[in-house]
Amino acid sequence: MLSRLALRAAPGVLRNLSPSLSAGALCAARSFHGGQPCLAPLPPLPERGGAVRHGFIPEEFFQFLYPKTGVTGPYMLGTGLTLYLVSKEIYVFNNETVSAVVFLSLVIYAVKRFGPDVAAFAEKINEEKLAKVSTIKNDSIKALETAIQQEKKEQERVAVRSYIFDAKRNNVAMLLEINYRERMLMVYNEVKKRLDYQVAMQHLKRRKEQDHMIGWVERNVVQSITPQQHKESIAKCILDLKALSKAAQATV
Amino acid sequence: MAGRRVAQKAIDWMAFAEYVSPDNRMKFNALKTISDTISSRLTSLPEKPPAIDWEYYRRTIAVAGLVDEFEKKFSALKIPMPVDTETAKIDAQEKATEKDAIAYVDASKARVVEYEKELERYQNMIPFELMTWEELNEAFHETRLDKEKHRYWPHKPITDM
Repeated sequence: MLSRLALRAAPGVLRNLSPSLSAGALCAARSFHGGQPCLAPLPPLPERGGAVRHGFIPEEFFQFLYPKTGVTGPYMLGTGLTLYLVSKEIYVFNNETVSAVVFLSLVIYAVKRFGPDVAAFAEKINEEKLAKVSTIKNDSIKALETAIQQEKKEQERVAVRSYIFDAKRNNVAMLLEINYRERMLMVYNEVKKRLDYQVAMQHLKRRKEQDHMIGWVERNVVQSITPQQHKESIAKCILDLKALSKAAQATV
Repeated sequence: MAGRRVAQKAIDWMAFAEYVSPDNRMKFNALKTISDTISSRLTSLPEKPPAIDWEYYRRTIAVAGLVDEFEKKFSALKIPMPVDTETAKIDAQEKATEKDAIAYVDASKARVVEYEKELERYQNMIPFELMTWEELNEAFHETRLDKEKHRYWPHKPITDM
């Protein structure tokens, strides 16, 4: 009712409004339904069915009848309804009924006998599927986390790149320094070597001169000894020897 | 003067080694070996050559004026510092690397953001127990069946089954 009224009033409202606002104003002016909209995340459907009695009658049915009829009421209703159908011949017993009873008992037997196995089999297939997809999901999550860690580590590695260049510059500076020191040391060594050479030369020269002088003196002395002197000296030696031997005998 | 020049930025090799990736380990080891060799050579050399005992030579050597001339020339001799041509190259190299590194870090950050988005998608996903087929197709596009291309069940090539 109200919405229709609003609709009827709308052209008048629209005319008053600027054209750019018209669509929004129309939406605001109309309230199509006042009910609470269904919130998006619906609760998931139950995994298992609700409680039942006698295999197929829902518990809620009994709970619904209890206030009106008491505890035996539902059973009375069932029994009375059956008797009514039978006595009025609305339901007629015939060969179909026998067949239905046999068929139903077979079905019940089969469900009781094989139901759990089939359920377990179906459950297993479902579990396998779920396990497969969750493995994929977990692997992907792990791979992504690893990748993020790797990237962060790479970023850190890039951040300390200055180490390499510092090391290189250090090496260059040290090499230059080594070169400089080696040159200084070389100059020092060369100068010292030459000075030492001079010293050594001087020593050598002096020794040579001394040797030469000694040789010359000796030679001149030997030359100056005459045969007369030679004989005298030999005789003196023999006399000395004799005196020595006497002294040796006396002591013995 | 010499001591001052060598006092460069000291490099923490232990910290450096922690940041080296396994595939660059060989290069790092080579660099470290070279640096260690150079620094040990540097420490083995004296900072200044020992002084020459001029008095001793003056007393010993008889040739007049020789030692004085030696001393004069030795003290006059200035050894030039070796010219540094490599540091400029290294600086240029660093500058070039700088650009690459910034680009790489930016790309890496972008990649990290992408990965994190993907990770969040995975973590906020509806649990598989509660998923419908439509939601599964939404989450993993490759599970969607192309019914236009493969018109009959199972809507995908038999070889993929």
